[in-house]
Amino acid sequence: KLTEGMLNRSGPKTQPWGTPLLTGHQSDLTPFTTTLWAQPSNHFFTQRSVCPSKPRAASFGRRMLWETLSKENAGSCLATVLYRRTKSSPVVNIKCMHTKDQKQVQEEDNRLYQKIRHQTKPIIGNNIPDSYGHIEPALEPAWALAVTGSSYMMWEKSTESLGYFLAQVKSVKQWIRKDDFIEFDYTVLLHEVPTQEIISCHMRLTWLPGHPLKVKYFCASENQGLEDGSGMESGSAAGILHGKGANF
Amino acid sequence: MRGLVLLAALVAAAAGTETFVGHQVLRIIPTSDEELQKVQELQDLEELQLDFWLAPRGLGHPVDVRVPFPSLQPLKAHLEANGVSYSIMIEDVQELLDQEQMEMLRGRRQMPITTNTFNYASYHSLDEIYTFMDLLVAENPNLVSKLEIGRSTENRPLYVLKFSKGGTNRPAVWIDTGIHSREWVTQASGVWFAKQIVLDHENDKDLASVLDKMDIFLEIVTNPDGFAFTQTQNRMWRKTRSKQSGSICVGVDPNRNWDAGFGGSGASGNPCSETYHGPYANSEPEVKAIVDFVKNHGNIKAFVSIHSYSQLLLYPYGYTRTPVPDQKELHEVSAKAVAALSSLYGTNYKYGSIITTIYQASGGTIDWTYNQGIKYSFTFELRDTGRYGFLLPAKQIVPTAQETWLALKVLMLHARDHLN
Repeated sequence: KLTEGMLNRSGPKTQPWGTPLLTGHQSDLTPFTTTLWAQPSNHFFTQRSVCPSKPRAASFGRRMLWETLSKENAGSCLATVLYRRTKSSPVVNIKCMHTKDQKQVQEEDNRLYQKIRHQTKPIIGNNIPDSYGHIEPALEPAWALAVTGSSYMMWEKSTESLGYFLAQVKSVKQWIRKDDFIEFDYTVLLHEVPTQEIISCHMRLTWLPGHPLKVKYFCASENQGLEDGSGMESGSAAGILHGKGANF
Repeated sequence: MRGLVLLAALVAAAAGTETFVGHQVLRIIPTSDEELQKVQELQDLEELQLDFWLAPRGLGHPVDVRVPFPSLQPLKAHLEANGVSYSIMIEDVQELLDQEQMEMLRGRRQMPITTNTFNYASYHSLDEIYTFMDLLVAENPNLVSKLEIGRSTENRPLYVLKFSKGGTNRPAVWIDTGIHSREWVTQASGVWFAKQIVLDHENDKDLASVLDKMDIFLEIVTNPDGFAFTQTQNRMWRKTRSKQSGSICVGVDPNRNWDAGFGGSGASGNPCSETYHGPYANSEPEVKAIVDFVKNHGNIKAFVSIHSYSQLLLYPYGYTRTPVPDQKELHEVSAKAVAALSSLYGTNYKYGSIITTIYQASGGTIDWTYNQGIKYSFTFELRDTGRYGFLLPAKQIVPTAQETWLALKVLMLHARDHLN
């Protein structure tokens, strides 16, 4: 369900000769409940010679690799998405492998949550990591959540020709709430490829283990207003489909 | 850090405003929440005039505090009464200051004294790297020399280290790092390569055999203006720092400024863009200097330009899909080089031509060098694949340099074995 929703969000563009996209991140502390990031790999043409400005390929395909976040071996799903120029629905093939059980996942999420809740003062920080790649241990939980939230943002923003990486968390400020939710306000820098631009985004994130991560963001280069991250389902991609795995 | 604080104290002392006779620096490592809290509370005791050199951060993290002489007894009694253990790091701060002053008057700076005391596992400033180069040359005058091939837009010298066992205008390998200033692991790796060549030039048979026939040229800070800018103003700066007429934006992408498919798809004509190709090919002095050097030398056989990040080994072309005539050979050498790289720490690299492996890019360095006849033209994209990106932790510098060096040796050996 979730997968198809995300697919429907962005359709094929007319200039497929652009770039491969690399989007996504992995961190030891990112909560399991936040779901997917996409790592589309090289697009390929089915026809051998193509003039870049006038593609004559009858179809082109784009592999997208979706993986659940957080610790290695948490589980991963591999999805192939084949867009056809005929504009029919893309063909999706998903294969998931879980190596961690839900209980373990929940426990680790809770540990992260408790770590943040036990801070005596609201978390505030700048430049994470710093210029030298160092992350203050006290800021690691906030960074982990930023990674998670950013991955959603980057997924939303990425297209056939634009991909993203999280370059740096410029600032983080925790908002203390009366309820049990954790709330952070971030300024993050995204590295955009292939343009090589550094995009500054403002991100507001709320989280409670067992609940979908809520992400609201606004990036400086955009003209639109505040973008709502739709709530995400917990765990990995909804609907584990064991299709015939494509060769990668 | 401590040096800076001591320096500040010294200045104050010299101005006659402060003396640190009898002051001590204590180190406390809180190992329990109670201890941590007790230490944190100390910060509020203004009458003690404590000066925290390392503020409380958390359990297990050292807390260093300079304690004025009158506060020593009360503080130590307080710590002991609360079961907080401490050690004395500096017995008498003034003594240490006096020592430092003597050293300073002797003309020694806070710079590394030899390339053996240089810290390869940390990132350095431009001055420190330029000092390192001079030290390396001074320590190994028979092997290493420093050339100035030009000046940057802001008039910084463009230095290249030459490693040679003799001969005249021998066939050569060129390696550059830091052409994109924010890619800090590359300059840091360049420094490490330089030292490694010196260490291994006799006992490593592969390197020795390369140097028997070829010279190695290494430009460590290919874009010094950009590099200085990343240290002082914007860590994410990529381009040069040249002013662009008709625009408030600064800088040209030095890897789009070469005369190979210049201005074509894969670069931007917008001065504000990170991939701006510049007003014309070789408009950037940093690029022109290398172009002139390569043309004047006339005998360069292998050219490697190093970037980060993505973990890739790339060969031409970037500006066109037409494969290079030597595609098969370059692909095979790349496979060998990548295998050698991975053998050390298991780091995964992909390889291929620029346009098929990453994206179309015009006006790129190795497209130009290849078209000049330098068959073995390669670009590396070093660690990592996006986890830290440009902000690669310093502790990964040496492993990155070590594994990359193995790949470089494969490329150099291949070039040496195919000299004609």
